[in-house]
Amino acid sequence: MPPAITYDSRKHVGVHAERVSHVSSTNFPGHHPHEDHSWDLERFKKGLTVKIERLSNRSIEFDLVGVDASIANAYRRILIAEVPTICVERVYVWDNTSVVVDEVFAQRIGLVPLNVDPALMDMKQTQNDQATDRNTLVFRLQVACERRKNAPKDTTDPSKLYINHEVLSSHLKWVPQGEQEIVMAENPPAPTNLNIVLTKLRPGQEVDMELHAVKGVGKDHAKFCPVATASYRLLPLVILNPEKPVPRELAEKFQECFSPGVIRVDPRTKAVSVDSKKTRKETMSREVYRHPEFEGCVQLARVRDHFLFNIESEGFYPPQRLLPEAIAVMRAKIATIKRAAETLLNNGDSLGDVEMADV
Amino acid sequence: MNQPGQQTANAGGSFIPAPRQDMEYICADCGAKNEIKSREPIRCRECGHRIMYKKRTKRMVQFEAR
Amino acid sequence: MAETSPKIKIMAGAAPDLSAATFQIFDESHTIGNALRWMIMKNPKVEFCGYSVPHPSENLIQLRIQMYDGLSSLNTLLEALANLDSVCETIENKYHSSLATNDYERWEERS
Repeated sequence: MPPAITYDSRKHVGVHAERVSHVSSTNFPGHHPHEDHSWDLERFKKGLTVKIERLSNRSIEFDLVGVDASIANAYRRILIAEVPTICVERVYVWDNTSVVVDEVFAQRIGLVPLNVDPALMDMKQTQNDQATDRNTLVFRLQVACERRKNAPKDTTDPSKLYINHEVLSSHLKWVPQGEQEIVMAENPPAPTNLNIVLTKLRPGQEVDMELHAVKGVGKDHAKFCPVATASYRLLPLVILNPEKPVPRELAEKFQECFSPGVIRVDPRTKAVSVDSKKTRKETMSREVYRHPEFEGCVQLARVRDHFLFNIESEGFYPPQRLLPEAIAVMRAKIATIKRAAETLLNNGDSLGDVEMADV
Repeated sequence: MNQPGQQTANAGGSFIPAPRQDMEYICADCGAKNEIKSREPIRCRECGHRIMYKKRTKRMVQFEAR
Repeated sequence: MAETSPKIKIMAGAAPDLSAATFQIFDESHTIGNALRWMIMKNPKVEFCGYSVPHPSENLIQLRIQMYDGLSSLNTLLEALANLDSVCETIENKYHSSLATNDYERWEERS
């Protein structure tokens, strides 16, 4: 038997019937008298665990244990808003006789995720920068709908009656510019999903457009966001009170107050225990607090420094590459600020030289 | 922002100003091409429908995908 | 504009020895603000540290640092930035070694 877990307000966030307690971390110097909470990289390394739990072609789940919420949140925010991707930004329409009007069509095309490695492209410095082969990809979209000559008479199925009755993302044709043909030869630019319906057509209707794709970040427009979701939650904890065990006859009822698998009931003795491997499945519904017979038997909590990340990739990046990309963006930010701070330090030996804001 | 109807000497020079001629209209019912002349009733030659659409411009129009 | 505007400015009212100062950091948000505040608060020589985003329409944060014993808040800021970078490096390394172990569930997701 592992040692019984007890509630520790320094490590745990209490989850009560109608409130939460001990939300903020207190491990700062000066908070607890005569304790050292100053920064120590070796101590941090010892306490840090990064463990990947599940990985698919589209998503990743991993545990980040032993960091402060501000760090976990920084990565989450960067994943959503600051990891760059490539998307269609400008649409030049020669003809569009489909039922979807030009501006709506243009917006739909912008949302199509492209399989281009953002590392191969530069960001435009301003919106009206000159387009070059380093910062712009060109696609053509030319689709016209026709009647199928030998279509069966009795059918009403548009795919049998007409050719090109749908404009799909697969109709986007990449037009290489300059050195792009060589640079992107291995992985020619195309949408990641070739089956997105952009609009429907009927005979006589036609679409003819040129699309310019650029590099951007999610804080500018959501289409540039590399993830579908990037979120974390804290590890749930179910703490049983050894002083007040769950009555045997109520063991099953107690079990059903939690998510499946979280509570084990011994078939013989009807003793209740927590399956520590499955507590992460607990939804924290707080159902157990609704029953007066279980009062004092159990305390729900979350572990304040144990983050369960779930990231779903959408677009170019394989899911396992997303966190490293976010960390790279974070480190680039730190480097920029550091350089600026060093300039301040070198210029400002006497404060007279320090650039002061007017405010 | 969006500049519909923007007069651009666009790539490929596909827009050559057409000589002044009677405007062609599309029948709203059967899609046939029609010409409308002054003091004549607006009526489709093919099906007799009385609603006509103006054709879309041949000029290039620029949009932001936002 | 001939000159690019600086990334950091020290706001007026800072102590002459920079033992107490408010830094304006441009084009940054809560992402860096909160992480940096946390790392600076881990320094026992710091009396106070806090940050704010004064207004959502201005893309900047203000970081206030007050030091004990007349120490320089600018040095503390630099030290915290270096520490924050090593946090990132450590997490990245551990992430990559966990990925290399292959000790996790693999599954296929239909899209």
